[in-house]
Amino acid sequence: MKHRIFLALMLSPALLLVLAVVLFPFCYNVVLSFSNANLFHIRDWQIIGPQQYAAVAREPLFWNILGKTLLWTVLNVSFHVVIGVFLAVLLHQKFVRGKSAWRVLLILPWALPQYITALTWRGMFNFEYGAVNLFLKNFLGMPAIEWLTRPWEAFGAAVLTNIWLGFPFMMVVALGGLQSIPDDLYEAAEIDGASAWQQFRHITLPMLRPVMAPAITLGIVWTFNNVNVMWLVTNGGEPADQTHILVSYVYKAAFTMYRFGWAAALSMVIFAILFTISQIFLKQTKAEHRVG
Amino acid sequence: MSVLTGFVDFKSVVLFPVNRCPRKFASELILQFLCLALAAAFGVGGSGCGRKADGRVRVVIWHAKSGEEREAFNRLVAGYNASHADRLVEALYHEPEELRNLYIIASVAGQGPDLVHGASDNVGVFEATKTVRALDTILRREHAAQFVDEAFVRYKGQTWLLADQIGNHLALVYDRQKVPVPPKDFTEWIAMAKRLTVVGVAGGRASEYGLTWNYREPYFFIPFLTSFGGWVIDDSGKPTLDNEQTVAALQFILDLRDKHRVIPREGDYEIADMLFKERRTAMIINGPWSWGSYNVPKQSLIAPLPLNNGTGLAMTPMYSPKGYSINASVSDTRISVVLDVLEYLTSREVQQRNAETLLITPTHREVIASDSVRNNAVLEASMRQIRQARPIPIRPEMRQIWDGMRGPYQLIMSGSLSARDGARQMQRECERLIADSQL
Repeated sequence: MKHRIFLALMLSPALLLVLAVVLFPFCYNVVLSFSNANLFHIRDWQIIGPQQYAAVAREPLFWNILGKTLLWTVLNVSFHVVIGVFLAVLLHQKFVRGKSAWRVLLILPWALPQYITALTWRGMFNFEYGAVNLFLKNFLGMPAIEWLTRPWEAFGAAVLTNIWLGFPFMMVVALGGLQSIPDDLYEAAEIDGASAWQQFRHITLPMLRPVMAPAITLGIVWTFNNVNVMWLVTNGGEPADQTHILVSYVYKAAFTMYRFGWAAALSMVIFAILFTISQIFLKQTKAEHRVG
Repeated sequence: MSVLTGFVDFKSVVLFPVNRCPRKFASELILQFLCLALAAAFGVGGSGCGRKADGRVRVVIWHAKSGEEREAFNRLVAGYNASHADRLVEALYHEPEELRNLYIIASVAGQGPDLVHGASDNVGVFEATKTVRALDTILRREHAAQFVDEAFVRYKGQTWLLADQIGNHLALVYDRQKVPVPPKDFTEWIAMAKRLTVVGVAGGRASEYGLTWNYREPYFFIPFLTSFGGWVIDDSGKPTLDNEQTVAALQFILDLRDKHRVIPREGDYEIADMLFKERRTAMIINGPWSWGSYNVPKQSLIAPLPLNNGTGLAMTPMYSPKGYSINASVSDTRISVVLDVLEYLTSREVQQRNAETLLITPTHREVIASDSVRNNAVLEASMRQIRQARPIPIRPEMRQIWDGMRGPYQLIMSGSLSARDGARQMQRECERLIADSQL
């Protein structure tokens, strides 16, 4: 019994914190999603049933934004992982000199505050005066692109910015994973005549999987919910709300249009989507299983 | 809502009930916490302001003043505190959007500042959320008599804001070296802008322009719209955008860019501002918040926006009085202290100093009539523009109108929509957003 009391005492601060910052807001959001809370009913809101969910499904932009959110997540996480793992493998090679300096340099994008990076990239995407178009025109002889005024170009600009911001995280995680792979495995493979690609395919990748799978799951959740970059690079969904992802649309609905009930319903939909994706991904990659 | 705290008999709940099963214990704990948190969320408890531990009465002000104006305001507040040993005024800056959102959330919960300083277009939202007190019966008659009529922002028959300045009116700012005399009408304006646009070397694109402004924001579209006889909303709160006036105004802007080629291809605020500051554009349309950074009057000057000689109508921007509202949660017992602070902040001396040093357009009758204001070229031009401006509509639907206009406007400017289709889409979008806002 004493053991139980001790356990309860030790767990209670953490439990209280979780209740305060996770469970209460979550429950409150569930209640709001069934209410008519908006600008005109901010004090006297009432439960109206699932009408807000029906309104979310009817929203003309919803499916378009959902598609863009999935595309945004897939593109970003894929590039983060590919670039991150590639750089980690490169940095892990014995012939690379000044590894610490390279590591610091490559982690820089991650260390900078997101909003500063996003706004700097926004400036760089300006049609006439931005560095990106000047580079395209003067060095590659390509025509300038209207990055910020056309929907897909603006979406691309946000993706490029977020790729630049996000690869260091995957690189750091992969570096950690690589350092835990015993050298003997590579030596044995070399004796067996395995090529570099075969070593990567049959040793590095499987050994990295337990480290990378949770990191990718986190990456999916973060990217899916990354309101900062999309909001700042596209200046709040410009042009014409064509560059929103679901979470930036929720932000706008709640804090620009004061549609609290509707925004709460949409955030529940986002939660359901993310929960499903995470579960499927973790199950498919068997991330919880140990290798070997 | 304090009823919620009574939902659980807290005295009967033992924090660590050793004789209960863990599941029951956990569920009771969750219930207990939820009730406490809900009570907190719904504002059980007093206002955030009141008496400090040292006995001084504390008055909190939230504002969105930036740059030099903020520094001057902080000095003003420090001056008040120095001369009132029993009081402490605290000023807290928020970015304008954040100010409105945080204020509403705080005030609904019975918290927030005593005074909130902002533009008049917040008033519709504040009134709808019942987060401000009507001023009609609160202000002293002698105090109220000192201000011009524009200083009182009324909505639904009551006054909700007392303005200490008139602002947000767009005007023409021009480089004195490049533009000796500002243009009076569209013909002069276009001719001048063409003359001042210099085609650069890189790719044959113009590197210096005659004119620029933020043409991604519909607020900057208003002077063009009004010069063709249009407006955004009628008296019943319905958008009025699907008409020939809107189409003509949109086409005029497109022509400035694509036919006359006197404005940059992309025109967001930062780029327009940078181009004018770097003297790579001769004229810019911008509001009083920016004039201080344009080295007025040494390098640039202000003039009212020109006349559309095709319609005979002047470009009429919106203006919005800016000033103080009192939080609905300020109790009657504290109102006299809050009013005293309000009277100080809107006083003749303060407005005179703001007008002379910050070029802020005053609302105090004596300051407006003073020689230093009447003889100031910038303030004089600013007031001429205000006389040629319309107050921003206060209705809460304006949020949906701006948002509904913004998307199609940007698509028109990016070439994805024609002016006619864009006007139609603006109307549809505004109507949809207004309908959605009711759910």
